[in-house]
Amino acid sequence: MNVSLNDEQRAWHEKARKFAHEEIRPLSLKRDRVADPRETFDWEIIRKGSKLGFRTAVVAKEWGGHGIDFVTQALVISALAKADSAIAKTFSQCWKWSHLIAAFCTPDQKERFLKPFLADDTYLLGHAGTEPNAGSDHRLPPEDDPRSGWRLKAERDGDEWVLNGEKCFIANGAVGKLFFVDARTNPNVSIHEGGTEFLVPIDVPGLRVGKVFNKSGWRFYQNAELIFENVRLPHANIVGKVNGAYKTRGGRFGDLELSANAVGVCDAAVEMAMQHVRTRWPAARYFADNQTIQLQLSEMHMLTEALRSFVMRVAAENDDKLATHSSFNNILLMNFATDVIQRVTRLNMDVHGSAGVTAMDARVDKLVRDAVIWTHLAGDSVQRMKAVRRMKLS
Amino acid sequence: MDLHLTAEQTEFRETVRDFVAREIKPIVQHPDRLQDFARKLPLELVDQAAQMGMRTLALSEEAGGAGADHLTCCVVMEELGAGDPDIAATLAQTSMLSHILFDRMMTPAQRGRFLPRFVAEDRHHLAFVLGNGNGEVQWGYHRPREAPGGEMTAVRHGDEWVVSGIADFVANAPIAELFAVQVKTDQAGPGAGVLLVPRAAPGLTVDEMNGGAGTSEEAPMMGWRHGTGGKVVLGDCRVPLDHLLGAQAQSPLTRDAALIPGGMLQSAAINLGIGRAAFEAAVDYAKLRKQGGRQIIEHQAIGTKMADMAIKLEAARNMIWKAAWAADHPDAGADLSLPGVPLQVMAKIFVSEVVHEVTEDAAECFGAMGVMLDLPLAKHVHDALVFVHSGVSNSVAKFRIAEAVAGYRQPAPAGA
Repeated sequence: MNVSLNDEQRAWHEKARKFAHEEIRPLSLKRDRVADPRETFDWEIIRKGSKLGFRTAVVAKEWGGHGIDFVTQALVISALAKADSAIAKTFSQCWKWSHLIAAFCTPDQKERFLKPFLADDTYLLGHAGTEPNAGSDHRLPPEDDPRSGWRLKAERDGDEWVLNGEKCFIANGAVGKLFFVDARTNPNVSIHEGGTEFLVPIDVPGLRVGKVFNKSGWRFYQNAELIFENVRLPHANIVGKVNGAYKTRGGRFGDLELSANAVGVCDAAVEMAMQHVRTRWPAARYFADNQTIQLQLSEMHMLTEALRSFVMRVAAENDDKLATHSSFNNILLMNFATDVIQRVTRLNMDVHGSAGVTAMDARVDKLVRDAVIWTHLAGDSVQRMKAVRRMKLS
Repeated sequence: MDLHLTAEQTEFRETVRDFVAREIKPIVQHPDRLQDFARKLPLELVDQAAQMGMRTLALSEEAGGAGADHLTCCVVMEELGAGDPDIAATLAQTSMLSHILFDRMMTPAQRGRFLPRFVAEDRHHLAFVLGNGNGEVQWGYHRPREAPGGEMTAVRHGDEWVVSGIADFVANAPIAELFAVQVKTDQAGPGAGVLLVPRAAPGLTVDEMNGGAGTSEEAPMMGWRHGTGGKVVLGDCRVPLDHLLGAQAQSPLTRDAALIPGGMLQSAAINLGIGRAAFEAAVDYAKLRKQGGRQIIEHQAIGTKMADMAIKLEAARNMIWKAAWAADHPDAGADLSLPGVPLQVMAKIFVSEVVHEVTEDAAECFGAMGVMLDLPLAKHVHDALVFVHSGVSNSVAKFRIAEAVAGYRQPAPAGA
């Protein structure tokens, strides 16, 4: 076992830390406090980050990307998320679907979509799965019921497919240029057997962006409705095979991505709490005399380091192509991250509010609001049941 | 032992519940208002509630109020809190202070001067001003603590008091017509007292605290209390000599502001109301929403959450009602019917912890919709979080319980 980083990993980590501190952090609270959810986004930070390689970091080198490994991905995400969780996620959302392109897209699809993605600093990727009546909770039992899951319909018409329906909460929905869209190509069987994934450019006729959701946390991140009215796509835009959506997922990256992001939020909370006890009262009496605060800080450090260890282990496992590792670790990691981020951001609030407060530091409040997203974004308890069901079935 | 509510209490409860459903919820839970970062206290609703008697709930009937005891106040405040904690906190503060000031502290002459206007005007609110003190004060544990609010002074000049000092956050300050200001005096009685300062007194200024703040990198703070509040500055503020209260007797207000009798309990009741509103919304939704061919309440993972929420809310209400009953029956401690523990402080801590958990569980039942600002759930979660840290924070409140358990007695603060 070797836990040291190589020079390339270290360099990316340093680059991410610098960008996060100098560019993202000064922007973070300002964007968070914009009331209109359509106006929270900022293209300038995306352009700047893209030029440094954060948008295209995981695209393979032979295609013109940077091909960073999972360990580096985890380091970069947590470093960016320390300054702003939602801005970090906007970049890593592109990685999630870069992984999928690498694994499943044909050379023609790569030519048509990967090249423009690489060339344009404002080209963002997204995935459209969730619908008003089909989110992560379509995994609630019985998940193989044909009535569960997506209802967005795709029907074949010669060499084309016609898509009709609605997606909601779609990440990068209002800002993305290309979406991986899950559609139902056979409504009589479960989505495992009757779902197909399509590559959908945002400017295709019949597709429009509806509401941008106004969330309490992750306000920068654009979750939107996508509405499909007779959207016509060539057969060549199918990812993998017809009725094969469930075999063309983005791998295990999603759980690692969110957990690494949680590490960054926890790092921010720990740093804030330590800074607060150092400066809140002169001569640090507040800290020196108070076991309550000491125990809270100790727990914050302990949980954050435990989460970091788990994240880095899973990242290293994903890089280790020779060994076979349990895929459950990714799901369990995500569940653990959800618990840790809630607890650590809450403890930071307790440290700041320990003497009773009339005004709360806006960044402390933001970290708690961002953390709450974890229990809502992927169906927390559903996720937990999924891990166990897979263990039982395997 | 009798757990029946009186006919009057159930009637109050039904009236307020109906008012909340008909008048408060449609306004405070409107998506436009929920999404407004700088939302203001809905004063028209506060006025309506005042007309129904909620501003003068605890004021004695002789003085023109409803003469409600602690338990009744808690029953009413739970209902109002379920509607809107800002409206509830504003009314609770005025109601509680009206009882303490008019019924218990004022001389007949003072009552004659201040009471008629207070009773007649629906928008006549009250505030209690405690000067800024040393922030470390509350953190003392098993050692003497300074009296808080030490920076507000009153000096006698001829037939007036000249009051000076700053209080950074005063509940109700932006709308208060009468301020009860705790001062250190050079002459009056034991050296401390409470002065009545009308809003129009020269030298009194109020800066409303802006709840929508928080974008400044230098001072990124945001308002973190319920109701309305602000900074009160008294600069050579002059009031007549006979505005002094509680100079001779022990004033119920000279203690820690958050421990004003009944104040902590009413806050806990408002807090409970938030939990109940979140829980009821979750139950309704879980019966409506279908996944996997069944209402989600039929899924174990949701059903057990509902059970946990119901247990926590019931336990929380028991804590509040028992502490309120104890406050209404001071003799129950003497005859050993109740243990000699700080029931109010215990209730405050317990209620704020479990209600916060309840709101998070309730929001989770809504999936992604649980974090959307145009629905009430995200507001319930945030409102509940505020209670964990407002007033006496839970960390500090636990010190008081631990001291009580250990039998530690705080020496009288120097100069009090």
